[in-house]
Amino acid sequence: MVFSDLFFLYIFIPAVMLCYALARCADSAYVKSMGSGHYSAPANTMPYSNAVLIIFSLIFYAWGEPTYIALMIISIIINYIAGLCIDRGRRKSKAALIVGIVINIGLIGVFKYANLIMETLGFMGLPVESPGIALPIGISFYTFQALSYLVDVYRGEVCAQRSFAALLLYISMFPQLIAGPIVRYSTIAAEINNRRITFEDISEGSFRFLTGLGKKVILANELSEISSKFLDGNLDSLTTGGAWLGIAAYTLQIYFDFSGYSDMAIGMGRCLGFHFNDNFKYPYISCTITEFWRRWHISLSSFFRDYVYIPLGGNRKHQPLNILVVWFLTGLWHGASWNFVLWGLYFGAIVLLEKYTILKTRDKIPSFFLHIYSLFLIIFGWVIFYFEDFSRLGQFIRILFGGGAGAWDIVVQNELFGSIWLLLAAVICCLPIAPCIQKLYDRAGRAPDGAGAAAFLTFSKIVCAFALLAASTLLLIGNTTNAFLYTRF
Amino acid sequence: MKPKNEKKYKAPKPTKRQRAMNAAYLATILVAFEAVGLSMLIFPRSTYSESERRELEKFPELTAKSYFEGDFTEGISSWFSDTVPYRDNLTEMSVALRELSGFRQDGIRLHNVNVGSKPDDTPSTPSTAAPKPSTTPTAPVTSANSSGSPNGNPPSSEPDDTSAPANGNHEIDPIQQQIYNDDAVNITNNGIAVVGTRALMLYGGNLSVSESYAGVINKFKEALGADVNVYSMVIPTSCEFYSPPAVRELCGSQLDNINCVIDNLREDVKAVDAYTPLAEHTDEEIFLRTDHHWAHLGAYYTAKEFAAVAGVPFADISEYEKRVVHDYVGTMYAYSEDIVLKNNPEEFYYYVPTHVNYTATYTNYILNEDGAIVGAEQPFEADFFIKYPDGNSMAYCTFMGGDAKIVRVNSDAGTGRKLIIFKDSYGNAIPSWLFGSFDEIHVVDYRYFTHNAIEYIKSNGITDVLFANNAFGAATASTVTRYENFIAQNDRGF
Repeated sequence: MVFSDLFFLYIFIPAVMLCYALARCADSAYVKSMGSGHYSAPANTMPYSNAVLIIFSLIFYAWGEPTYIALMIISIIINYIAGLCIDRGRRKSKAALIVGIVINIGLIGVFKYANLIMETLGFMGLPVESPGIALPIGISFYTFQALSYLVDVYRGEVCAQRSFAALLLYISMFPQLIAGPIVRYSTIAAEINNRRITFEDISEGSFRFLTGLGKKVILANELSEISSKFLDGNLDSLTTGGAWLGIAAYTLQIYFDFSGYSDMAIGMGRCLGFHFNDNFKYPYISCTITEFWRRWHISLSSFFRDYVYIPLGGNRKHQPLNILVVWFLTGLWHGASWNFVLWGLYFGAIVLLEKYTILKTRDKIPSFFLHIYSLFLIIFGWVIFYFEDFSRLGQFIRILFGGGAGAWDIVVQNELFGSIWLLLAAVICCLPIAPCIQKLYDRAGRAPDGAGAAAFLTFSKIVCAFALLAASTLLLIGNTTNAFLYTRF
Repeated sequence: MKPKNEKKYKAPKPTKRQRAMNAAYLATILVAFEAVGLSMLIFPRSTYSESERRELEKFPELTAKSYFEGDFTEGISSWFSDTVPYRDNLTEMSVALRELSGFRQDGIRLHNVNVGSKPDDTPSTPSTAAPKPSTTPTAPVTSANSSGSPNGNPPSSEPDDTSAPANGNHEIDPIQQQIYNDDAVNITNNGIAVVGTRALMLYGGNLSVSESYAGVINKFKEALGADVNVYSMVIPTSCEFYSPPAVRELCGSQLDNINCVIDNLREDVKAVDAYTPLAEHTDEEIFLRTDHHWAHLGAYYTAKEFAAVAGVPFADISEYEKRVVHDYVGTMYAYSEDIVLKNNPEEFYYYVPTHVNYTATYTNYILNEDGAIVGAEQPFEADFFIKYPDGNSMAYCTFMGGDAKIVRVNSDAGTGRKLIIFKDSYGNAIPSWLFGSFDEIHVVDYRYFTHNAIEYIKSNGITDVLFANNAFGAATASTVTRYENFIAQNDRGF
């Protein structure tokens, strides 16, 4: 099941919310009954709410992966046991950690990379065949969450979770299950068994969800029509203008697709009482690639920073090698294809170069040029990311730099004019305008003389939310090819 | 010391005004959300889309296999999304919404024009896997039992029986309605251009298929001998006449392909020039604006040319009664989802002969769900023209109700000549102009024929054979293959 689906929006979510509300009532009664007796307050104040969330999360996952749900549950059982084995008081078990890590990496290795490994060996002339294993949805995300949990327990940053149900909820929670963000256990550990849901949580969470829905359905889906037209067709007749329009549209599409998913996940989490960290911070306004990766898929880059880069030695020992290892893994994480590795190393090399060049002289270079520089490298990076076929990749790069079937044609022109407002809207939405509006909104809510502004901004917010919901619903009718790009990673 | 699971998030305490702001927002958006959600559950779900001319998704069947392969759950999502109440109205709104994405430079909007679709006139190997427009209906109506309505007819495409002629035992069943199992989706096209309020299917044919097309007509002549006249009429389509220069760049030349067919015909096969008479009347409504077909008037001018070549009498258009279906929006809206077409319906005119008596006998083929012929109904007589109500998007089926049939028209023309027309759906508009020219006309669609063509022609005493296909069909390899089969195939007995 995907978030941007009418069944999810109008059947699944209302069902979850209704059951969750009833479970919250049951939890309140449960806590009262425990408090009124001779017992102290229970450790888990949300048994019914959590049960509801677990059941719906499993339904959500089984909807798309009726078979591989068993794999996810087995993975969680293993990590539950490994966590308990690691956390034996003051002395942590390194052996249990290693076993846990090996099993997790083994699972992702078999189910995500076995095909790539065998195909590569076959390409090198060895008599092996691709096993043809289908990629379980979300395995990259839930495995990394499990890894972060085990390492954090080993480091003593969190206690091992004694309740299997709680760990099951942490890993399988449907808002972030299949395409992130990669939520650290430490981020929500306290909220698993004890959380409050305020009016503000539901208000802000639902608006965040609608914003994400709009990003996906109104922007990303429509932009995909443009990008696929120019990137998936016969490259022999593609013009240079068409190539740039196609890859520019894809640059916008992938941002709104993925950040839209993250917004929906964060928004839904908030409505359920969980506070996930942001996963995107307007990455396309970056001045350098180093900054870009601090703003793009933050949960993944911080994962690699904390669990790979720093343990390898970070800035202290053989930093260039550490950087390249991290970026190799970042690329490989995105997909079982060598173009993703190339993409990761491409950014690794740029980050490394920036360390010795631009980052040292950044203040002396006008921001405008830095933005152009960053955007060019980012867009070029998406070219490597998009084409898994290296011959098409090479051909497309030639077209980008003038080797196309002409510079421009009516198809490009028609598409550009026919989508001009969409493209402009997408570019504007890449700019950090929403935080400014949010500040105004907050100020209007607190300032003594802000009643008028508050009324106006609330009305605007309602209109905006209603427009997002109505437009997204209309555009989703009959639309069944609607998957998020990152669900395939 | 054990680490404590501390809450990382500390919410600032909201003011009273902030609470009020949130309450106002939440109350409104929840009401809106619930209103939409409940309306999806309360109102009856759609089962058929008239604008897309297809039955909508069915609720999937639950089996162990369908569940474990994910088809069941995926099917539920697809069904829910596809069968939204008032689907066609809402889809129209979403199409209008998409129109806001940009603007039309010079009033032109291209649809499904793939990059790299520039016409290639150099000969190439014909392919039977012709490209399809991606927005064509995903599942054409395929069987009588698959319709949601009790009588098996798609509700919105049911012809107006009350206005049918008195002899009207000529009911249109869904298989007959299928007709529109469009040749247009199986032919070589480069996408669609909407120019102003006219939709143009862009031509993508190449010369090598045209040579093969002429070759198969030659084979018919060779097999039939000197006693039977064979004619080839390749009908150009609207993009040849109404494309502005910029759009023209995306089309191949139909004239070149038509000439290529003519150049490769045997000397004793008579070529009928449909191009010139159409080119001379482009200021008249000879093509439909919202449909990929031509108008009945366009067929008149070419039929007149054919009659001259065949040496048969031909009645002037004044001998016909002009009828109309108002507010017609044809196939191109479904293909392109271009709101301009929907907002600019046209008049569908057709002409009923009053100068000649005729009877039409139908032999309808029975098709299975895959569209393959599995049998034929008993022949029955009915009117040649079917009256469609205003606004009906199937109005081009006015002529014989479609394609999956053989229609024989007997008239009191008294010319002693018998004609068979091998045609695609363009050819449906031709026969009625020739009722006064031939005593008997057999109309055979190139997709639906279960007899050996040569035996059929000889046993019915046919004197004239006309191949009337549009330029797309004549440039599509599968058309040639089908006609080859007509010569070689054995009679299936129905």
